[in-house]
Amino acid sequence: MIMSAIDGLVDEVVADVDAVLLFSPSAGTYEAFADDDADVPVVVVAQENAIDAETFVELPLAFTDVDGRLRFGLEGAAQNGLVEDGDTVACATSMFGDGMDTVVRVQADQYSPTGVYNLFVDSRPQPDVVRDVFEVCIELGRKGQKGKQVGALFVVGDAGKVMNKSRPLSYNPFEKSHVHVGDPIVNVMLKEFSRLDGAFVISDSGKIVSAYRYLEPSAEGVDIPKGLGARHMAAGAITRDTNAIAIVLSESDGMVRAFKAGELVLELDPEEY
Amino acid sequence: MQVDVPRFIRRLFSEEAAFAFSVAVLVIGLVAAYLAWRWTQRALTASGFVDAVEGTPFERSVRAIGSSTIGLIASLVAVFVYVLAIVLALNIVQLLDIQLFWTRLTSYLPRLLIAALAVIVGVTAGYRAELAVSERLRSVKLPEVAFLGDVIKYSIFYVAALVALAQVGVSTNALLILLGAFAFGLVFLGGLAFRHLLAAAAAGVYLLLTEPYAIGDEVRIDDRRGVVQEVDVFITRVEANGEEYIIPNQEVFQSGVVRVRG
Repeated sequence: MIMSAIDGLVDEVVADVDAVLLFSPSAGTYEAFADDDADVPVVVVAQENAIDAETFVELPLAFTDVDGRLRFGLEGAAQNGLVEDGDTVACATSMFGDGMDTVVRVQADQYSPTGVYNLFVDSRPQPDVVRDVFEVCIELGRKGQKGKQVGALFVVGDAGKVMNKSRPLSYNPFEKSHVHVGDPIVNVMLKEFSRLDGAFVISDSGKIVSAYRYLEPSAEGVDIPKGLGARHMAAGAITRDTNAIAIVLSESDGMVRAFKAGELVLELDPEEY
Repeated sequence: MQVDVPRFIRRLFSEEAAFAFSVAVLVIGLVAAYLAWRWTQRALTASGFVDAVEGTPFERSVRAIGSSTIGLIASLVAVFVYVLAIVLALNIVQLLDIQLFWTRLTSYLPRLLIAALAVIVGVTAGYRAELAVSERLRSVKLPEVAFLGDVIKYSIFYVAALVALAQVGVSTNALLILLGAFAFGLVFLGGLAFRHLLAAAAAGVYLLLTEPYAIGDEVRIDDRRGVVQEVDVFITRVEANGEEYIIPNQEVFQSGVVRVRG
């Protein structure tokens, strides 16, 4: 009997787990788990808590790659004390399409945390500001500027210090303006200005402080993967020198990368969103 | 002293003549209504009213039913004139001898017309004013100021509604007193409760618009020295060596700012 063999395999995957992470479950799925008598904590990971789950980790983006999504959920659960070090966790998520089709068994200390959860929740800038900048980057990476691939560098948070560690390349088009990254007009403005060289500086609360900034951090001890260009090096270095985070859209390979404390934390492919 | 035209006519002619006369009044009323309709349309077109109403939501919704604001106003005037003629004619033949009812109706009709006009003009003017204000404020790159336009628009709507209601005889005194009390309470108690916030906001608006210091400048306010990290309507955040000062904007104004250059 083949079916009993596969049943056994699934049983093995979910055997003796200490917690269950449900990624964007339907209300029915969640209730079935919540009503279960087994003493296993159930954590819901989703973009919004539409089903009023008790333990909930908010996803800031609809991570399309399963790896990033699982990492965010696991790190979020660990950060909130829902999952302990050494726990075995079963994650149910969807890899293709909408329904849940994948169950993954993870030992909570088996993978090395990348700090993707901290990037959003524990950084100096507010979480929704980080998310907005990501969305702008993804949008810019997908559409480009007039059909051409563009690069961009956003330095988010700790703006006062960043401004003192950089100098203007030209007149600042955002001087005496009060636009924030979440404003609808901003996508268009940033798209236009992305043709310019230099970095965008964004404050903790999301105000766009300046464009056209030439960053002058000391690049000592910055360790970023080989093969990335000057824009990424500048991004890594400024986050090491200040409490800012940096989000880069690469001109050469079109990827969106985030840096914090001098290290590459997250890599996204805009084409997947 | 009012001249009683109908009675005068009836006394002058026979009953039949009075009937014929009332028919004539109806016909004259028809012609007068048409003339009034044409005259209103011409006068409004000549006065540039078209440009004023063009593009307002009221004009759009009127267009949807196949008319225009000017057409609507002209029709209103025409209907008013014609209804007056009908009332006069009925009065002459004395089909209904409830004098009181008619005098009331004739005095009520103009008020109804004025009320309708007040609503039309109020709605149009409200949207126009909102547009003008938002156009003027466009140079201020602060998306939240759009709120100001809404306030002006709805204030004009409110005044128009008051005028219309007063015209049709609804007693608006209670409404006015209520509004006055509400506004007074709001301003007085609100001012009392929010006076610090209001002072901070007043200073903050100035700071945001003129930007005497910007994010990244090193400043000293009283004895707090550091780098400006954030300026919003209410507060300024200044950071120095691991300490972040959150300073209400009115303090910035009262004690002044030292910009440290160098």
